[in-house]
Amino acid sequence: MTLTVLEQISAILVGLALLLGFIRLLLGPTAPDRVVSADTLSVIVTAALVAVGAWLGNALYLDVALVYGALAFVGIVAVARAIEGGHS
Amino acid sequence: MIWLLGLLIGMMLAAAIAVLVLENHIAAVAATSIVSLALSVVFVLLRAPDVAMTEAAVGAGLSSLILALSLRRLGLWQIEGDKHPEIAKEGVDA
Repeated sequence: MTLTVLEQISAILVGLALLLGFIRLLLGPTAPDRVVSADTLSVIVTAALVAVGAWLGNALYLDVALVYGALAFVGIVAVARAIEGGHS
Repeated sequence: MIWLLGLLIGMMLAAAIAVLVLENHIAAVAATSIVSLALSVVFVLLRAPDVAMTEAAVGAGLSSLILALSLRRLGLWQIEGDKHPEIAKEGVDA
């Protein structure tokens, strides 16, 4: 695919955001830091999937972003309940 | 776009190694969700949206949900530090 200048800038910004969030995932001193960075990465990836759908000109990728956003929220809430502790 | 694919595959490799190295179970679950996250974007960039949707549903939703609920049931959660949790202290009376 050939991208315009604005699309290339958005791709670079998405890559930089992924890199910074992933550095916090690797370096996070405690477990909640890593979980919050995973949540941030899921939001960044949802935006990145919408951006890829705009690059490719196909509306099917928006469904992928929708499913991913909803299910990543459910997964992060489950991990947060695991951090909270106690017995379910 | 080949550099974005390379960045995502490097993220997958580093997160998979982090799952092996990390001693905190909750951090390992978070790193597992990052592996499936990057794999879903790789499938989208390779123009396979149906595979990416299945990977998002199973990897980001179900696997982290099941792993987190099993951690909660087994009493393996520990918030502070990356030390190994006291399994005998938390798990016996569960």
